[in-house]
Amino acid sequence: MNTASTRTHVFSILARLFHPPFKLTVLFICLICIGCATTSYKANPPPPNLPQNARVLLMPLDVQLFELTAGGLQEPKADWTAAAENHVHKALESVLAQKKDTVVPYEPPQDNPEKARINEQLMKLHEAVGQSIMIHTYYPGYNLPTKKDQFDWSLGGGIQRINERYDAHCALFIFIRDSYASPGRKAAMVLGALAGINISGGLQTGFASLVDLQTGNILWFGRLFRPTGDLRTPEPAYEAVSQLLFGIPL
Amino acid sequence: MKFRPVYVWILALCLTCLSCATTQIQDIKPGEKPALESDEAGLWMMMDEIETNLKTSGRIEHDPDLNAYVNQILCKLQPDYCNDIRYVIVQTPHFNASMAPNGFMQVWTGLMLRSQNEAQLAYVLGHEMGHYQRRHSLKQWRTIRDTSSALIFLQIVAAGAGVGYAGSIAQLVAMAGIFAYSRDMEREADDIGFGLLADAGYDFHEAANIWQALIEERDAADQPDQFILFASHPTTSERVNTLRKMADQLASQGRYGESYQREYLDATRPFRAKWLKNELRKRDFAASQVVLKHLVNTADNPGELHFYQGELYRMRAQPGDAEKAIASYQKALSFEQYPPAVLRSLGLLFWKARKFEDAQDSFKNYLVVDPDAPDYEMIKSYLEELQ
Repeated sequence: MNTASTRTHVFSILARLFHPPFKLTVLFICLICIGCATTSYKANPPPPNLPQNARVLLMPLDVQLFELTAGGLQEPKADWTAAAENHVHKALESVLAQKKDTVVPYEPPQDNPEKARINEQLMKLHEAVGQSIMIHTYYPGYNLPTKKDQFDWSLGGGIQRINERYDAHCALFIFIRDSYASPGRKAAMVLGALAGINISGGLQTGFASLVDLQTGNILWFGRLFRPTGDLRTPEPAYEAVSQLLFGIPL
Repeated sequence: MKFRPVYVWILALCLTCLSCATTQIQDIKPGEKPALESDEAGLWMMMDEIETNLKTSGRIEHDPDLNAYVNQILCKLQPDYCNDIRYVIVQTPHFNASMAPNGFMQVWTGLMLRSQNEAQLAYVLGHEMGHYQRRHSLKQWRTIRDTSSALIFLQIVAAGAGVGYAGSIAQLVAMAGIFAYSRDMEREADDIGFGLLADAGYDFHEAANIWQALIEERDAADQPDQFILFASHPTTSERVNTLRKMADQLASQGRYGESYQREYLDATRPFRAKWLKNELRKRDFAASQVVLKHLVNTADNPGELHFYQGELYRMRAQPGDAEKAIASYQKALSFEQYPPAVLRSLGLLFWKARKFEDAQDSFKNYLVVDPDAPDYEMIKSYLEELQ
């Protein structure tokens, strides 16, 4: 009988403690450099054939903010997250308002638990596929031999069930994780630099995907992966959202 | 600067002190929620997400009667916190339960299969409520966060001084400190669980009994390493002794309680077949045998229990097991109620032993007893083959 969170933390700290941090940092920087060198969005060929004035189902935002402790653990921050959700939502509204499409917000079917459960599963599926895309298409070393250069990721036709009440053409999913160095972490970074050790700071990472609600195909996939940015205040949050949605075919 | 190992020990000592020096954390009050800007609210946020994900998982036991039964135990133990605790029954054949900082509890079906009466399950639930009440997750998180933060500076200093290995030694010392702290919290939760059990009118001797049964199972197990529980928890024999002493003390004051075995068997009987099936799939037959032995002793729905005893032998398939399995199946058939699958398993073993007529009889009986069996056509084809 252990506390669930305790177990997770103990394992994450074990993993951290038994790898010298500087090795991780080097790897991390390499990944960032590779990340910068590629385009930040991918599209499913041929270009999506969405109608002018498409109906876009906006899925619930999945945003979480963390503070990076001196020791390198991610401390979840509920207040920052609440603020970020608000800013990202407003930024999305104003970015999408510049497009011709109609945005329909998703509302969980509270009257129907079974339907709510299916929709939850579809959202989990999207997150799993999105994480796989992040790993397997942006880092050359992790490319899948079966995918080669083609971007043909899909959630499958089961996605239609999420659309039963909306009659939308496509759905937009947003997933963002953002972390910021604590004062202690910043001190460690400075001291580390003096001792010749590179200690990493916070990271803004996330993805957005536009999913065809007929086929489940991921029509377009945009991502964020950078050591800068701030979702806790409105202007940088707007900048991050614009960056994330750059090139979206709406 | 000439480096001496003693510096490492001094620093490690400082780290240990640091984890003790964290400010006193008060018990959580009924209905209390953490302030949004606190680290505790962050932990709740993460666990709320895990809770949503797990509640929609396919591994949750949703049966309303079973859930109502577990809920009334919780509310009997801790009426004040009854509304703050949410839980799911997770279908997994291992012994465990867990409590998250936001009051979300997991009860594993492996625990429910192993509890021999309501008091044993109540003791484990009380232990978990102790973790919640004392805010153990928060304490653990702060200890790990503060220790790892102190460590990074130590590593920088050690690397700067050209003795990187010193950082590694300090890491091990710090890890040992964290695990020791975790075991202290388990002891505390044991105390709380025991108190709740006794105050709710349960037989408090059952607290030690559930651990005793677990020790028996571990000692018998083919793969004792799989008992992950023992890493972060006090050694179980120490636990049994402490709990026995506490129980004897209460009993000497004239206190007593009920184990509610009958109620427990009634509530869990409809699920036992499913749980036993999952238990045997672990293929740790020596450990499962201990679990089955305790169940067979209850003589509750014996036809089913002897069937699973037979299944254990049949799946283990060591020399002599086929005969033992057949004997168990025949024992199962001697009771008024037995699962129809007894006849199918019996048929398969007779066939293997080249007792073709007995095999045919068993398969025919199976089709008579269970005309809606999903494998009806398959068994029919066996019969054709046997003719």
